[in-house]
Amino acid sequence: MTSTRSKLRKIAATTVMVLSMSGIAAAADKPLEGVTLNVASMNDPFASVLATLAPKFKEETGATVKVDILDYGSLLTKTTADYVGHTAGYDVITMDIVWAGQYAQNGYSVDLTDLIKRDAKELNVDDIYPALMSSIGGYHGKQVAFPFAGYANVLAYRKDLFASAGLKVPETMEELVEDAHKLTDPSKKIYGFVANGQKGPAVAQDWMQYNAEMGGSILGPDGKPAINSPANIKSLTVYAELFQKAAPPGAADYDWGGREESFRQGLAATMQTWSVGAPGYYDPKTSKIIDKVAIALPPRGKGLPKVYGIGGWGLSINKDASDKQKEAAWTFIKWLVSAKVHKELNLLGAGSFLRKSEMVDADLKAKFPFLPLVAEVFDNGDGEYRPRIPEYPEIQDILGTAVNSVLVGHSDPKAALDQAQAAAIKLF
Amino acid sequence: MTITRFVPDLARRGFLLAMLAFFLLPFLWLATTAYKPSVEIFSIPPHFGFTPTFDQFAKVFLVFDIWRLIAVSMLIAGCSAFFSLLLGVPAGYALARSRHPLAMGIAYFFMAVRMIPAVAALIPFYLMMRDIGLIGSWISVVLINCMLNSAFVSWMMFSYFRSLPPELEEAALTDGCHQFAAFWRVALPAVRSGVIASTLFCVLFSWNDFLYPMFLTKLDSKPISVALLSAYGTKDITWGTLGALAHFSTIPIVLIVLFLNRYFVQGLTRGIH
Amino acid sequence: MSHPAKDGRRVTDISSSAEAGGPFAWRQLVSLPQSFADRRRLFLVAMTIPAVIYVIAIGIVPLARGIWYSFFDYNLLRPARAHFVGLGNYLDLFSDPDMAEALKNTVLFTVSGVTFQLVLGLAIALALWRDDRFNRICLTLILIPVTITPLVVGLIFKGLLLADYGLVGYYLAQWGLSAPQGLLASPSTALGTLVFIDVWEWTPLMALILLAGLKALPGDVLEAAAADGATPLQRLRLVVLPLMLPSVMLALTIRTVDAFRVFDSVFVTTGGGPGNATNTLMVYAVKEGLSFFNVGKASAIANIALLCTAVIAAAFVLLIRRADKKANGR
Repeated sequence: MTSTRSKLRKIAATTVMVLSMSGIAAAADKPLEGVTLNVASMNDPFASVLATLAPKFKEETGATVKVDILDYGSLLTKTTADYVGHTAGYDVITMDIVWAGQYAQNGYSVDLTDLIKRDAKELNVDDIYPALMSSIGGYHGKQVAFPFAGYANVLAYRKDLFASAGLKVPETMEELVEDAHKLTDPSKKIYGFVANGQKGPAVAQDWMQYNAEMGGSILGPDGKPAINSPANIKSLTVYAELFQKAAPPGAADYDWGGREESFRQGLAATMQTWSVGAPGYYDPKTSKIIDKVAIALPPRGKGLPKVYGIGGWGLSINKDASDKQKEAAWTFIKWLVSAKVHKELNLLGAGSFLRKSEMVDADLKAKFPFLPLVAEVFDNGDGEYRPRIPEYPEIQDILGTAVNSVLVGHSDPKAALDQAQAAAIKLF
Repeated sequence: MTITRFVPDLARRGFLLAMLAFFLLPFLWLATTAYKPSVEIFSIPPHFGFTPTFDQFAKVFLVFDIWRLIAVSMLIAGCSAFFSLLLGVPAGYALARSRHPLAMGIAYFFMAVRMIPAVAALIPFYLMMRDIGLIGSWISVVLINCMLNSAFVSWMMFSYFRSLPPELEEAALTDGCHQFAAFWRVALPAVRSGVIASTLFCVLFSWNDFLYPMFLTKLDSKPISVALLSAYGTKDITWGTLGALAHFSTIPIVLIVLFLNRYFVQGLTRGIH
Repeated sequence: MSHPAKDGRRVTDISSSAEAGGPFAWRQLVSLPQSFADRRRLFLVAMTIPAVIYVIAIGIVPLARGIWYSFFDYNLLRPARAHFVGLGNYLDLFSDPDMAEALKNTVLFTVSGVTFQLVLGLAIALALWRDDRFNRICLTLILIPVTITPLVVGLIFKGLLLADYGLVGYYLAQWGLSAPQGLLASPSTALGTLVFIDVWEWTPLMALILLAGLKALPGDVLEAAAADGATPLQRLRLVVLPLMLPSVMLALTIRTVDAFRVFDSVFVTTGGGPGNATNTLMVYAVKEGLSFFNVGKASAIANIALLCTAVIAAAFVLLIRRADKKANGR
């Protein structure tokens, strides 16, 4: 008994030795052994995929990646505190498209321009959509983040409702508005339209999108706020009417979650959304409209150029990190956006497209039949309808309150936008 | 029991049961979302029935390091409660027994500290923690929680000790009892219910506080309240995930309350009336 | 040379102890006071000092820095533009309609919420007064809302009250009991709904504190009142309530101060909306401070809130003192 045990112990000891020796051997080709990267990630579908892929990166390079998954507010607060306090708590930070102005102005992150030039071949930059590269992280000649998750604005609609009403898919905003009113039938709990109405970023972002599609603009040609322009007032009037007559009554309080849920529940006939949510409509685990839903290009106002909204997230490197960390962070970013890993990321459900090659990839196309639309949007992408200026968060907040109070009938479009303009101009 | 006492007793119990339903049913709804497939959490028209599943828990365990989150929460709550009592109970006692006019002022000062809006001190405190290198550590959360809690405990124990007649200790002191012993052996046991209530407050406060830990901790040192916040993403409130996470944030604290509650009632009945 | 002073303290003559040599003089200088009153005083001071020092070091110092910031136009995101504005932030806030609305909402929320909590909490405390098994179980279960993270409480009610598919909100809208867009989305009912949520969350705590007060009541007085043949209602009004006034005041102070600082539940349910209908001081301050890093303005809002609570608390303190006098002077 004792002898068996001691034999076992000997075998175990030998195994450990062998294993550790092979570990030493492996370390030679693992340049980042011992490095730990702290990643702050938005709680979007890519977050859990990042966490899933982290061990793989360790296997290949030796670096440990810790992914801190945060909600939007915490992410903005924590990373900003990290930057302004120079605490270097995070090495890699997911950056929302609209934060670029702040990042560039305050120099929070490493300017990646030279690194991209240096490693252009390895990155295969030509395969990345130029619109994503310039709007996610590109700002006044700097590249404050590397695009990582491109989201395309698309129109999700109910083909069954459109067919039974004898309508075709709307191509212009005017048609969409008309169809939305026609399709609405509260007695059947069917509404023609749904969008975010909740005070704050939710309502502001959705309205800015419809506003751009109707020919409005938040900034004037001089780059200063022009919130109460006639075009904006008109678009808000139409928008408010849609909310009051053609949207589910609760929409005035919807954020992204509420909006998507109402569409998946089958309440709404049309909804403009990010491509990242689209896989969910076809998933019987989350959706009640799996065989009734279709995706189309977002509508544009009659006579307006055919450009479509894009959004999404970039990866930035904290400027306060040590050089060693920065180098490791850049290796991690290059690894993530490489064609092979990025495809795997999407197969795992990240919904974060980036490369032209992904749009024609057979595996991805089989899983996401709407990819050609995403490609079309990225080819004609507009990442500026939400002004990516340093003052964006304040402007978004001002709009978030103004538009919401119009939607709930608390004030009229002109008065609300006049007041918003007065508040916004003070920021400049 | 006579019939005249029986009827009000029945009404009393009926009232309490109605209150229990009022206070528990909403929470029950969230708890059940954890066992529903995502597609069944909402429906039109809404109904309560569902096919049970553990998918939500599987997802929560995939995304969060649950046991670490709970352990950190316990560490923060436990440490801050312990040190708050250590600082606050003696202070409360001393202030209650002192006849110096300043004592009253200090007691009210402690009460005022509790009123400090978190955001007023948050950013300066962050910078202070940065300077001493405690950013990202749970210790910084204990430090700030302890500050708010010890002030509160001082104030609360101050009122408990004050309602305790001083004659008992005075008698002990005249018998040659050491001052600390008079506090420790005579006064303290008499206000046991107050100490337990204070502990309850401290634990609750630390356990549920999220603004400070959200700001001060990092991945390895964040408590479960902060994780709850991150389940409330902006693009999608994942109700099922939230329901499952809420189990882990609620069950430990309910157990603690269950446990302390026994002592609480004991303390109340054994204490001097 | 030393001699006993009038009050019994040893008064040390420094010149004479210097003659006697270093260590000895030192010991004499710090020699413990001999009289009981002095030792008592020293003991009490020693018991208080650690807490006071700790609170000042960890709490007041950052707070003072926050007050200092409130005199600057100071945005952490645009540090280069920071400059001293004196009372500028405060003057801006006085003419700021959002601030006026936030203040009004906060006061309405606090007063109505705490009033409902007091009435309901007192009823529950009285029902729980008798110490039996049933009551002990009830007491434990009823405490559950208090233990739930306020953030989650807000989300529970948000989910339940959704007008289009929420378990409760759907039927309220269907039966015409709420506006079609739901209780939280309608400007006229949103604040009331938040009060309801606060009542749900904090009434049990109120009941707990009041119950502790009830249980501490002297039994002999109650028995005497019962023997006098007073009806239960009379006993409650004339004997119980006056006697437990200190604990009522304690409960009111705690809840008023906390309600005034309400943030979590508002933040996750309405974010201050619709419009600004439920914007409270803390929601406003946190938005300015943690979303825009407008430290100067955020500090100014927080300081105004602090001032308001201080005034409220001072009022309570006066009431408590009067209540004390009454309860003790019986």
